[in-house]
Amino acid sequence: MKKYIAIVLCLLMVLSIVACKKTETKTEEPKTEPAAETKKVYNVVHLVNGNLGDKSFFDSAESGLKALEEAGRIKHKTIEMGGTDEDQPKWLETLYEVAGSGEYDLIVCGTYQMPDYLKEVATKYPDQKFAIYDDSTYVGENKNVVNITYRQNDMGYLIGVFAASMTSQTSVANINDKKVVGFVGGVDSPVINDFLYGFLKGIQDTDPEVKVDTRYVNSYVDTATAKEMALSMINDNGADLIWGVAGLSGNGAAEAAAETGKAWFIGVDSDQELTLPADQRAVCLTSGLKNVGNSLVWLIDELDAGREHWGTEVNLGLNEGGVGIVTDKNFAAIAPQAVQDAVKAAQEAVASGKITVPSAIGDTSKGAEALRDSMMP
Amino acid sequence: MFSQLMSMVLTEDFLFSIIRITAPILFAALGAVVAEKAGVTNIGLEGTMMISALLGMLVSYWTQSWVLGVLMAVLVGILLGLMMGFFNLKLKTDIILAGIAVNMLGGGGTIFLLNMLVHMKGNTGSLSSANILIPTINIPLIDRIPVLRSLLSGHSVLTYVAFLSVLLVWILLYRTSLGLNIRAVGENANAASSVGVSVNKIRYIAIGISGAFAGLGGAFMSMYYSQGWNSGMVAGRGFIALAAQAMGRGEPVGAMLSSLLFGLAQALKNKVTGLTGLASYNYLVASIPYIVTIVGLVIYAASTIRRAKRHRKASEEK
Repeated sequence: MKKYIAIVLCLLMVLSIVACKKTETKTEEPKTEPAAETKKVYNVVHLVNGNLGDKSFFDSAESGLKALEEAGRIKHKTIEMGGTDEDQPKWLETLYEVAGSGEYDLIVCGTYQMPDYLKEVATKYPDQKFAIYDDSTYVGENKNVVNITYRQNDMGYLIGVFAASMTSQTSVANINDKKVVGFVGGVDSPVINDFLYGFLKGIQDTDPEVKVDTRYVNSYVDTATAKEMALSMINDNGADLIWGVAGLSGNGAAEAAAETGKAWFIGVDSDQELTLPADQRAVCLTSGLKNVGNSLVWLIDELDAGREHWGTEVNLGLNEGGVGIVTDKNFAAIAPQAVQDAVKAAQEAVASGKITVPSAIGDTSKGAEALRDSMMP
Repeated sequence: MFSQLMSMVLTEDFLFSIIRITAPILFAALGAVVAEKAGVTNIGLEGTMMISALLGMLVSYWTQSWVLGVLMAVLVGILLGLMMGFFNLKLKTDIILAGIAVNMLGGGGTIFLLNMLVHMKGNTGSLSSANILIPTINIPLIDRIPVLRSLLSGHSVLTYVAFLSVLLVWILLYRTSLGLNIRAVGENANAASSVGVSVNKIRYIAIGISGAFAGLGGAFMSMYYSQGWNSGMVAGRGFIALAAQAMGRGEPVGAMLSSLLFGLAQALKNKVTGLTGLASYNYLVASIPYIVTIVGLVIYAASTIRRAKRHRKASEEK
């Protein structure tokens, strides 16, 4: 009996290997077809160190790649590697696998969790090209890696201008006479503080009397704790607009705003007004956008134009479409015209370079931290 | 700074938040108490809460009834508990390994389930709505008494269930024959089996009850505390509950008191991070709950040592 089982299992294994091969050859076939055209069709693999469906970061990257694929400019494949601690060993393994296969013109990955793995693999495979978004840990150390970063400080500045103009509009529902707004951050790190720095600067330039209650959840998934912190901001300090910059935790701030009915929520990375439950959607005034998708399109544009950025960091701001702010739906319906105009003016000023927003990344003078502490209520 | 802290802490809102933070920890801690009494260490509480939270929320969405959602969460908890029991008692797997497996299921399996059932990933997003959340109860008269009302009134149905369960678990363990059997099996399984108690049956029951409590904790997380489910949302509360069980000496009332201590510490942490000038010490502030635990354990150890010394002295004098 055991023998039979062993034989059956062996057959199954052989079958699965054969079956795998077949599908592989299938995907390779169409790759060669459009090569006859002048523009190259890049074969791209997107490694997600988490799961799609975060409705912000990874989804944005994916939508950019999809748009490129639909335009016939790339072929792409996405591998979801999972985001828990147990999944981490898989990340390195998968990187080695896709780099070793030599199938791809470009390997795309992202977030602050990947650079160590990427550096190891990029050093082993110097001819393979890599792009990493939203990280700048090892810029320039590998000549085959491009680091794409976003001027989240630009985005923060716009949100700051909006929040500061909005908090004194006491005729609008939920806005109290206290000039206090809130910031719920993921962790006290340079990237999160970069959002914060722009936010604080935007507020300071608009109305220096406005105070900002800043708290960090120390987790990107603990919605409940974020909610507790936002409730405290609303009840103790009278915050009437709260910006949640903490991944999934950030939604806790939206719940707090909706539940108390005393505050508005501002989203981040993607248009959260589209994805929140109905009652939270109603209190989501706008969102700061980090257009990871746009940045990947920009990168392919640059490659097509013959400009290569390997071994450097490209920092994309308002001009390149790397960041932005949502200005339709609730924003258009609820924000008074004066506030909308202020945001528009700030958008133009930042894009034209009239205003340069300072960055917390690589800032050793700790300007963001000092400003944060000075603006606490 | 101190007066600012006082103005934040001396509020009814603060008392309310302690109770709210405590409830899910208390559920899981009671689960740990029952299992541990039967000699089974259920470290799968975290994963059980994750899976129950997801399925409870989804069932409440499909049926538009929070009651069915909570029942589903409890059912899932029981099934996961029995599954762990099956692996441990029937297939002789180490219970810790079975627990780790359930926790991994809670981390990755839930994402898979979510995608399979509703084709969403990461969180349940807009599926949740106010009408399928667990309702809150305002107790008449008490809701007009300051301070007391934030402790006793306006909480969710499950919060009351959590604190009532402390009493129920105590009655179960100390006033029923099943409780006697559970304790006997936990103290000495061989002795219990020699007088005709079916050790395996008792352990199945105990770990099933344990899972049911974890299920209630999960339902609390996704159907009241947060509106909807997202991956990783339990965020270590199942493990904190294990610590609460240990700190409470494995007794229901002790577990409740240590859960409340954790709740207090977490509530304090959430407030303290908002104080002027403390944001830079964010990581230090984040460790408040753990410092409280260590201090609690030291006080507890010191008091037991003193009691043991006094005991020895008394017996020597005799």
